[in-house]
Amino acid sequence: MSTSPLPGDASNDPTDDQTGRFVVQPNGRIRPLSPHLQVWRWHVTMAASILNRMTGGALSVGAVLVFVWLLALAFGPDAYATFTGWMGSPLGLLVWFGLTVALCVHLAGGIRHLIWDAGHGLSIKAADALAWVSMVGGVLLAVVFWVGLFASGRILL
Amino acid sequence: MSRPSKTFVNRVKVSERHGAAEWTAERASSLILVPLTLWGLWSGYVLAGGGYDAAMAWFRSPVNAILLAVTLLVSVWHMQMGLKVIVDDYIHKLGSRGLLLGLIGLLCVLIAAAGVFFIVRLALGSAPLPAGFGI
Repeated sequence: MSTSPLPGDASNDPTDDQTGRFVVQPNGRIRPLSPHLQVWRWHVTMAASILNRMTGGALSVGAVLVFVWLLALAFGPDAYATFTGWMGSPLGLLVWFGLTVALCVHLAGGIRHLIWDAGHGLSIKAADALAWVSMVGGVLLAVVFWVGLFASGRILL
Repeated sequence: MSRPSKTFVNRVKVSERHGAAEWTAERASSLILVPLTLWGLWSGYVLAGGGYDAAMAWFRSPVNAILLAVTLLVSVWHMQMGLKVIVDDYIHKLGSRGLLLGLIGLLCVLIAAAGVFFIVRLALGSAPLPAGFGI
C-alpha cells in the first residue's frame, strides 16, 4: 500500500493520527488534508491575528473621523457644534466607543507582533498567553478610558 | 546572479529587492505609533466634551500641534501600508487591485495634506475657514 507521508514519521504518521489532518482518497491512498481556511483548527493566535487586521481596517474609518474633527474645528464654532452634536449622540458615542476598542486592541496587538518580530515569546505557551493578554488588555484599556470619561463628567448621555 | 531588471519575471513578482524595506517600514511605523497612540488617547480624554474653546486652547500649544501632525502623518503612512496588504491578500484581479490601491493612496494623500493644513491653521489661530479664500 502506498501511503504519503511515510508511516514512522512521528509528527506526520497517518496510521495513528488523532488530529484529522489526513483523508483517504477514493483510490484508497492516504493523503494529508489541504490546509485550507475551513479546516484549520481555531487557535487563539489565529483569532488575535485576524482581530488585528479587522481593527486596523476599522481604524481607517477612525482616521477619516479624526480628519472630519479637524475639518469641523477649522471651519469654526458653528461647524464644530454640528460635529459634536452628531458625535455626542448615543449613536455617535457608540461609534467612538467601538473605535476606542479597536484602537486599544490594535495597539496591544501591534506591541504583541513587535515582540514576536523581535524573536521573543514564540513558544506555543508564550504565544497563546501574549495573544490573550493583548486582546483582553486592549478591551480593558478601552473600557477604563470610557469609565473615566463618564466618571469625570466629560461626557454625558 | 544578475540583478532582476523588472518587477515581474515570467508573470511572477520579484520582491527580493524591496520586500525587506516594506517589512521594516511596517515595523518602524508601528514602533513610532506606540507612544503616539498613548498620547493620542490621553489627548482625546482631555478634549472630550470640552467644546470649541477648549479645543482651540489645546491647539495653541505647539507641542500638541506638532505631536498631532506627526501622529497624523505616521498613522496615514501605517494605514496605507496596512490597507495595501489587505488588498494585496484578497483582491487578485490586477485591474481591481490597481484601482483600489490608487483610491487608497488618494484618500491617504488627501487626509495627510488637508489634515496638516487644518492643524497649521488651528495652531496659528487663523480665522475660521473659509476665511482667506475670498468666499
